[in-house]
Amino acid sequence: MTQLPPNVPIARHWRDIPQPVKPRTMSRGGRWRLAWSALRVVGGVGFLCGLAWAGWMIVGAMAESSRSLPDSARAIPMRAPEVRTDGVLPPLWVSTVLAVRPNAALMELDLEQLRRRLLSEPQVLSATLTRSFPDRLIVTLSERTPVARVMAEVDGETRALLVARDGVMFVGEGHDPVGVAALPLIEGATLRKLGDSYLPIEGMGAAAELLMRAHLEAEHLYRSWRSVSLARLASDRELEVRTVTGLKVVFSANADYFRQLAKLDYLWEKVAGVPVAQARIDLSLGREVPVYLEVAPPGGVDQAKSASTKVPARSDKPSFMTLPAATKGKREF
Amino acid sequence: MSSRPTFIGAVEIGTSKITVLVGEYSGRELAIIGRGECSARGVIKGAVVDFKAASDCTHAALQQAERDAGESIDRVFLAQTGAHLEGFYNEASVNVASADNLVSAADIRTVCHLAKAKELPAGRSVVHHIRRPFRVDGRLVPGSPENLVGQRLEVGYWTVHGQEQRLADNIHVIRGFNLEVKELVLSSLASGHMVTTPEERQQGVLAIDVGAGTTDFVLYRDGAPHTTGVVTVGGSHLTNDLAIGLRLTETQADKLKLRFGRADVVTRDKAQKVWLDGNFAIGDRQFPQQTIEQITSARVWELLEVVRKRLGGAFSPETCAGGVVLTGGTSKLPGLAEAAARVFGVPAHVGEAPQWVHENLRDPGYHTALGLLYYGVSAQSEDTAPDRQARGVWGQVRRIFGLH
Repeated sequence: MTQLPPNVPIARHWRDIPQPVKPRTMSRGGRWRLAWSALRVVGGVGFLCGLAWAGWMIVGAMAESSRSLPDSARAIPMRAPEVRTDGVLPPLWVSTVLAVRPNAALMELDLEQLRRRLLSEPQVLSATLTRSFPDRLIVTLSERTPVARVMAEVDGETRALLVARDGVMFVGEGHDPVGVAALPLIEGATLRKLGDSYLPIEGMGAAAELLMRAHLEAEHLYRSWRSVSLARLASDRELEVRTVTGLKVVFSANADYFRQLAKLDYLWEKVAGVPVAQARIDLSLGREVPVYLEVAPPGGVDQAKSASTKVPARSDKPSFMTLPAATKGKREF
Repeated sequence: MSSRPTFIGAVEIGTSKITVLVGEYSGRELAIIGRGECSARGVIKGAVVDFKAASDCTHAALQQAERDAGESIDRVFLAQTGAHLEGFYNEASVNVASADNLVSAADIRTVCHLAKAKELPAGRSVVHHIRRPFRVDGRLVPGSPENLVGQRLEVGYWTVHGQEQRLADNIHVIRGFNLEVKELVLSSLASGHMVTTPEERQQGVLAIDVGAGTTDFVLYRDGAPHTTGVVTVGGSHLTNDLAIGLRLTETQADKLKLRFGRADVVTRDKAQKVWLDGNFAIGDRQFPQQTIEQITSARVWELLEVVRKRLGGAFSPETCAGGVVLTGGTSKLPGLAEAAARVFGVPAHVGEAPQWVHENLRDPGYHTALGLLYYGVSAQSEDTAPDRQARGVWGQVRRIFGLH
């Protein structure tokens, strides 16, 4: 093999000339390029550092799982759930529904499953379950408020269920029995079932609106209401209220309830002094309010009923009443 | 090769103007995507004499080229010219080492190393080692002699060297723009590579780049550069001669040169005169056209004679069948090709860029910058090829076991 001679002269090449960057000899464009390249280097280093930091954070977050909790946190038995509700449900009922194993630790709970259990009860509108370490479970509930009652068959027997504004029917845990008994009954509604539970009553929104408006604006009228019929709601958009005295009042679901209640209040005062066996006030026809009256005999209503079968005492023609101008506008109660 | 293309700037710092072309090199092909120009200041005969002025106009041209290209230049190929550049020929021979007289790669490396080994005077640096064809037992080998049979392997190098300070000045002008000079290429090699074909170079051709301040020439023989040189006479000398001879300013003389200058005298009527401006304004006057032609042709002939003298025995019409190819800004002077043909005794013509060059870059003034890109890219590929080979797996194994 040919070897290179050791003392071969080597000439200096132009590539041996150093090419230093001296800002002193630079033009503005050169300095800008230098600054830009430095900025790119700094940016690149910063980006890599950021990437490394993000990776470290992700790895840290992945490593920190529930398994890394201290044993003490898992060993402490949970206390009774702390119930915070806007309604009347008692804590005991909540505990029963949750059916948490005694002495269970907080981390053992499947909160989503417990939440589903609560929401399966129709009285519960929404539920939030929160772990409060080390041993507390906070249950925050929002409940359905009953606006009426409905007679339905439950477990083979007919009983009254409560109806919420959205038409959902529920048994009504924790409610005052006196208050529940004062709620009007829903009649004429078709109750449909899905499995073992009832579906929400259709058209309940319109009835609930009427009941709530009457409860707030004309409580003296509302107190005498015994039932609300939805039978003609779908076909005629009419709600028929029956009072404890046998008076039937027809409301239009399309018109303003406030005005209709105002008219009823006016007529109520007129009719109050008249002894009638049966009466029907139709508020669904606008300003003309047909009022059917069957005047009771001097003996009383019972005699009037018997008399009406014998003597047609009532008039065949309805008496139309035109409301005074004062009731045309708003009327305050 | 990375997928990202490299943006190469070809910079020619000339006496009259500074030209920058931006090439997008993808590893397989080169596309010219930007151009920048600026009138030169602080440069005389290819040498930087006012660093600040030369830097400012070079950087302006670089910025213009980058704006035109829409990309930042990554590296620069810089053209080199000037009186400080000189060349010499040195050759070496080795006896083929193997018993079967088969030329090995080691023989080639040794002879190349020896042929390039020559001490230079202090302050001089090599710019180019231009290899001439190998010879095996006196037989010319155009390609690689590896595995040919012979007893003696010879090779010669034409070494171009320059004054280190002048080279550093040019490099520092580019470094002032925060760019790295990747390749330093002789102007004559760059422009010669552009205006001659491989066939012409194989037959023998002389390429003369007549610039404003210098005239660069390269003689090709057997397909490779044989001799290069620089004469510090150019188009500006013609202007200067006219200014002195006709008592004009440089600007006026340059205007006359461009309009009426010729490399040969064709006007026979001594009384035929031409106007300086032709607009009959105050100061406009007439000059005899024959005098203008005599002045310019005399300088051109002298220039060509100097080139011929510098070539000496290297040039002969018999070994230069391709003739003379002229390029550079001053090659547009009418009659120059005829004058060159008469001086050198071979056919001569003004070189043209290849057909694929865009119309805007076909002016002879761009030949050097164009050639810089193409010559620089090809030279880099050749330089880095052995390195790539050595970096391969086999190269690593050979390095471990000390095999060469």
